[in-house]
Amino acid sequence: MVTKTEETQLNRLESQVEHGGGGVWEYLCLVRKLKVRRSDKVLKHGLSILNDPKKRSSLGPDEWTLYEQVAVAAMDCQCLDVAKDCINVLHKRFPDSKRVGRLEAMLFEAKGSWEEAEKAYASLLEDNSLDPVIHKRRVALAKAQGNMLMAVECLNKYLNIFMADYDAWRELAEIYISLQMYKQAAFCYEELVLSQPTVPLYHLAYADVLYTLGGLENLQTARKYYSSTIDLTGGKNNRALFGICLCTSAIAQLTKGRNKEDKDSPDLSSLAAAALEKVYKQGASDKLPILTLALKNLRVSS
Amino acid sequence: MAGHTESGAYDKSTNDLQTTNAENLQSNMKVIYYSRTFLSIIAGVTAGIFGFTSVTGFIFYFLIMTITSIGLLSKTKFTVYSYFESWNQLVLDGFLGGLMSFVLFWTFAYDIVHIF
Amino acid sequence: MAEDLVLDTAIRDWVLIPLSVVMVLIGILRHFVSKLMRSSQVPDPKIVKEGQVIVRARNLRAGANFIPPKAFRARRVYFSNEENGLLFVPKGQAQNAQAQMFSDPNMAMDMMKKNLSMIIPQTLTFAWVNFFFSGFVAAKIPFPLTQRFRSMLQNGIDLSTVDVSYVSSRSWYFLNLFGLRGLFSLILGEENATDDTQRMMQMSGFGFDPSKILCL
Repeated sequence: MVTKTEETQLNRLESQVEHGGGGVWEYLCLVRKLKVRRSDKVLKHGLSILNDPKKRSSLGPDEWTLYEQVAVAAMDCQCLDVAKDCINVLHKRFPDSKRVGRLEAMLFEAKGSWEEAEKAYASLLEDNSLDPVIHKRRVALAKAQGNMLMAVECLNKYLNIFMADYDAWRELAEIYISLQMYKQAAFCYEELVLSQPTVPLYHLAYADVLYTLGGLENLQTARKYYSSTIDLTGGKNNRALFGICLCTSAIAQLTKGRNKEDKDSPDLSSLAAAALEKVYKQGASDKLPILTLALKNLRVSS
Repeated sequence: MAGHTESGAYDKSTNDLQTTNAENLQSNMKVIYYSRTFLSIIAGVTAGIFGFTSVTGFIFYFLIMTITSIGLLSKTKFTVYSYFESWNQLVLDGFLGGLMSFVLFWTFAYDIVHIF
Repeated sequence: MAEDLVLDTAIRDWVLIPLSVVMVLIGILRHFVSKLMRSSQVPDPKIVKEGQVIVRARNLRAGANFIPPKAFRARRVYFSNEENGLLFVPKGQAQNAQAQMFSDPNMAMDMMKKNLSMIIPQTLTFAWVNFFFSGFVAAKIPFPLTQRFRSMLQNGIDLSTVDVSYVSSRSWYFLNLFGLRGLFSLILGEENATDDTQRMMQMSGFGFDPSKILCL
């Protein structure tokens, strides 16, 4: 997570570096620390240090870290020659290093020679089955090939060990959604909600999945989670407001004919509709008629 | 003093639910610990230089710690629960740990200035 | 008993200040030495997994109100059913942490390194203090104490008439040993070697048993 102060610091350093004001190394360190993706900038400025022997030697042992950083950035920018040069230098310095081996495998991956990359990762994993980076690379590899089932399998294997890695859960949830395996995706989102109960995005995504699953119980739960999203965002989430309207109408459709048992929150949808109308009136008044029509249709169908 | 209490920790009390960010809480605790240790060392040196003895010195320590607590409290803008789990954490944490440092530096400064 | 002793200023210049300076320097030295000796151990997959399970279970406990009851029950069964739950440890199989520690040579080695880096400098300084500075009063603490503290503070002086607040150099050493911990944590950052003292004390006290903590 990048906090706001860190982000402003990063942006300030970046503009300083862009205008030749020095502090390149500090900028690169910060990028590395915050794990942000600014590959083009890293490549440009990192190379400027690496190509200057004096600056490079003044870094001391940090020089190798910079080589690694630049290599990864170069692969991200498809400057494979640069990446290859960096990796060669590193390989000469550390012939048996696993970390360099990882970079070489990543180079295969960047070139698009999947089989060789897969082989390299597999052999690396044999030596050290606990390297989370390699596990993640394998997932990315499978995903790049379009082999989603393979990606799911790899991710599951990874999560079996590192079950507290919530970015991985999120990735898994998104893959499941793309495969239309909503039940599994719902499980992943439950896990995410557990890990960070104050992040409204997970509540919202969970509600979406539940709504897509359908069924009375799921719809009711979905409505609850849309409500909690609104609660957490202070009523500023239009998607959740729409979700409540949709859920209510769907629930009403399902319970039509039966006795009205669902009376716990009769005016929830009308409140949501009112909030939506207000937002539209302020932000996009020309679209207001469309909205009212849509809302009316929802209510008519109920 | 009272260093840099980070405003990162949030425990948003949405209606009845309370959740805390463990990492931020820990960093807040660390800030408290550091400011207390630092102040107890400073207080020890000051007490020694002024030549406080026996009860006066300990009263001085209590006074400094109270001031620290108030300082930290004002850093949290008097909303303790958005930074810490309870009042005890803010008022009592690092109190005894600081006492040892206080006594050492008190003795040291007192001896150098007044005894020899 | 009430009359003040006059302490030689040479004691200040050659005992009190050097002793404190040496203690601080040794503390810093120890910090860096233990940093150098710290071996990067290969983590055991089982331990890594255990840690992750605990984090996840803690999240589940903290956020149980945020997920539907059905989902919570499913997870609870997953964690704690009596056949193959992740947190279920069959009775009698629960390993003693101590025994585990000694069975793993790496861990024992690590502990020994830590021990050595702590005990050697301490014994050396203690011997040095004993050899050079024993047998006289080195300092006076600015508050009165009862007779019971005599053996603690006037370690090495066998006079029963001296006021208890006068402290021998050996006791000054001990005072430094405990009081400087706060200073070290300020100047050396968080993970300093001196904190190992506390960790060791805790370690010997109770065998850490995660299953006990989680079976609340």
